[in-house]
Amino acid sequence: MPASMRSTSASSSAEAESPRTVPGKPWMWLAAPYFLLLLAFLAIPLANLGLISLYTRSASAIWSTDLTLQNYRQVFDGYYFYLILRTLRIGAVTTVCCVVLGYPLAYFLARCSQRALSIGLFLLVMPLMVSTVIRAFGWMVILGKKGVINTMSQALGFGPVINIMYTETAVVIGLIQIVLPLMVMPLMAALEKVPLYLEEASANLGARPLETFRKVLLPLSLPGLFSGILLCFTVSVSVVVTPALLGGRNARMIGNEIYDQVIASLNWPMASSLSMVLIALTFVIVAGGQRVGKRFRREPLR
Amino acid sequence: MTDASTTAPVPAAADAAPAGSSASLRVEGLVRRYSRDSVVGPISFEVNEGEFFSLLGPSGCGKSTTLRSIAGFERPDEGTITLAGNRIDQKPPFKRDVGLVFQNHALFSHLTVAQNIAFGLTLRKVPKAQIEQRVEGMLTLVGLSGYGARMPSQISGGQQQRVALARSLILEPPLLLLDEPLSSLDLKLRVQMREELRGLQRGLRKTTIFVTHDQTEALVLSDRIAVLSEGRIEQIGTPKEIYNSPSSCFVADFIGSSNLLQAEVVAESGGRVELLTSGGLRLVADAPQRPKLRNVTALIRPERIVLLTAESAARLPASSSSFAAHVVNVSYQGEDTHVRVAAGNSESLLIALKSGSAGSEVIDGENVHARIDAQHIRILER
Amino acid sequence: MKRFSPMLKAVIVLTFAAILAPIVVVIGVSFNPTSSFSVNFGGMSLRWYQAFFAGDTFAKALFRISLPIALASAICATLIGALAAIAIVRFRFAGKELLETAFMLPLFIPSILLGAALYLFFSRFNAGGTYASLIIGHTLLGIPYVIRVVSAGLFGIGTTVEEAAMSLGCNRVTAFRKVVLPLLRSSLLSGAIFAFMVSFSDINLALFVSGPNTTTMPLQIFSEIVWQGDPTVAAASTIQIVLVSSLVLLVQKAFRVRLAF
Repeated sequence: MPASMRSTSASSSAEAESPRTVPGKPWMWLAAPYFLLLLAFLAIPLANLGLISLYTRSASAIWSTDLTLQNYRQVFDGYYFYLILRTLRIGAVTTVCCVVLGYPLAYFLARCSQRALSIGLFLLVMPLMVSTVIRAFGWMVILGKKGVINTMSQALGFGPVINIMYTETAVVIGLIQIVLPLMVMPLMAALEKVPLYLEEASANLGARPLETFRKVLLPLSLPGLFSGILLCFTVSVSVVVTPALLGGRNARMIGNEIYDQVIASLNWPMASSLSMVLIALTFVIVAGGQRVGKRFRREPLR
Repeated sequence: MTDASTTAPVPAAADAAPAGSSASLRVEGLVRRYSRDSVVGPISFEVNEGEFFSLLGPSGCGKSTTLRSIAGFERPDEGTITLAGNRIDQKPPFKRDVGLVFQNHALFSHLTVAQNIAFGLTLRKVPKAQIEQRVEGMLTLVGLSGYGARMPSQISGGQQQRVALARSLILEPPLLLLDEPLSSLDLKLRVQMREELRGLQRGLRKTTIFVTHDQTEALVLSDRIAVLSEGRIEQIGTPKEIYNSPSSCFVADFIGSSNLLQAEVVAESGGRVELLTSGGLRLVADAPQRPKLRNVTALIRPERIVLLTAESAARLPASSSSFAAHVVNVSYQGEDTHVRVAAGNSESLLIALKSGSAGSEVIDGENVHARIDAQHIRILER
Repeated sequence: MKRFSPMLKAVIVLTFAAILAPIVVVIGVSFNPTSSFSVNFGGMSLRWYQAFFAGDTFAKALFRISLPIALASAICATLIGALAAIAIVRFRFAGKELLETAFMLPLFIPSILLGAALYLFFSRFNAGGTYASLIIGHTLLGIPYVIRVVSAGLFGIGTTVEEAAMSLGCNRVTAFRKVVLPLLRSSLLSGAIFAFMVSFSDINLALFVSGPNTTTMPLQIFSEIVWQGDPTVAAASTIQIVLVSSLVLLVQKAFRVRLAF
């Protein structure tokens, strides 16, 4: 196991080795269990979802099996449409904030000492592994009317300063904290690949630090940026717990709606169509992101 | 992939080069403390306008630290750096007008060759037409006309290094720093690039500091050399001075091959001393200054030892030492032949002869006579 | 080493503070002697932890549901994922890239979609809400992590040691078993731990796939918050935080696995 946590040393030694692969049939046996699992419990359920999205809700049973696109028509006007717009908006704002906040952090982690790196990575990854409900809960306590920020400002004599619970802003704040590590990790990996002497060359040619960032670091870290944007956005648009706890009725997102429709209203056809819309959205973003990413692929020269 | 055939040789004419300024540099008392045991400095030296100055030494001797301190990437703990009379040691690297060519060329892989070269100019908001013109001029200067649209990954190592050079030179810095720029190239390419570099520097008359661990490079390229070891400067001088009159055993050993013999001063008279080496050899050496110590080191360059035939052994001036020796090993090296002999009681000497000359036909086990002129034995006290 | 400007350092500190703030606050609330949801700097009390273990909802959610399911998911994910990783790294076949992308899909499909799809699928057979359904869902979520970690490990080990073993007389399978598997141990364990954490912390999938008898701890926490429970929920959260932190530290220090995405 490589002793260093820097991916550059591990990846460059792995590239140098490039183990030989074997042609032949045994891979089928090895890959079969997972493949079958995916088929049975991912592909088929998703297909089922698609099927149900074409049903309609009926008064007597859960659904009537006449196929119709009525649900989709409903999705694209009125309430649901605004819901989708709000979801996309929240996702976009969160992602943009993550880019701005993520770059300094990723740069720091890419260039810091080994010790700082292990501490930094721990502080970054640990929250990621803690359930989102706990993180949203924490924000409730911080941002609430009687929350940490307000009690502190009251102690300082200012009175309650913020009243943003149950607003879109609160949801965005909570989401940023949840998704930020997903932006930082690929960005850090990309920045690590840019050798320090490139920054030095740029400075030597007269570029101030921000100019070096704009002209050298940014273009060379684009692949990582795209990965980060992809991850951040797809996760942000599909959250349930965070908008439920921090947004209440004012900031419902598509995830909340799907949950309600499935569990509360039992309008499974509607829920399924919303889900299919979300799937399509995710797919478009990921596929589009891959394509754009390939066009900008520029590995730093070794 | 050599680029000897694919690119034009560098024109050495001075008027073909864009005029640039050239300044003198003074480094005084530079000290960088890494830890209690690892200190570089104090280092002081001066580089004159238009001079090609090398910092030469083994790895870890402090030459890179010194260079990077001049460029601004190391903060020295003590000392000053003055360029053309202005102190620059407090300035951040992007404010110092010093060109730096890195060991691994450090080209920006997302920009074309032309864009790389133009990088510094675009930062300074030079008008586009002017940039294009100057970049063209630079490409011609380094022999890469027509390569402007290529990407760094599409050109060879030698060409990449030229682009890196062009990128720094186009900004016409008064001082150019080269951090072992040729060490990643293979031998033939290195020799070719060496000559081109020298021609370029002479043509531009640019003050240049060159860092290397390769003593041949330093000797060939430099007007003056500073030899460093373990964070200190051992000696500064012209290549001839460094080679012929090294001031310490380290320098003597580092530059060229040498025979270093421990000896005792047994007699001295009129600028000449008589030595008895620890291996039992009696030698006569020129000593312009009286040695202060009794125990010294005698430096004899292998090419200064002459192998004699029996007759010439008889007629010898008093200004040379001669002795019998026994050939231990003959090693043919192409142009030279190296002969190792045992002499005295236990001395071992290396003799370098041109292959084909008298004496180079000796064989293992032969008994021979050797002679060394007094002026070719140098006494070192460190 | 690089020297960072003071402004950058300030930004870094603030960013980390923001990332950790909610977690720190939750831990603080769990020690509050009163039942208000705030951080009390006056005194500390363990009463909510006592309530956690005394009551039967949280304790059950943790010990009878979340932990066993996470364990089972981790084991399944590691087994299935490791086999898949070997197939991808060590073999060459047509359509490999396609398979690789397909294998990584559960990472890109939001867990609510997986949850909803599974729920609707299982309810066709009236099979939802059991331990098995949760384990299946969590296994799917965890396998991509296992594949990532084990693939990286396999790649790093290289084929040379296997070939050396074969030149000494054993066949391919034995060589793998005796030489590569021991070297793969830390990757396998790290992958398992990742899968465990993914299952343990999941809520989006459990929202759909769980039943009245299989309320995982995050679900319990969620409902307590929604129904305005007392700070026992903070104690439960802190327990999860501590557990997850220890596991992350374990992977970092003991197995030195690089947590790269």
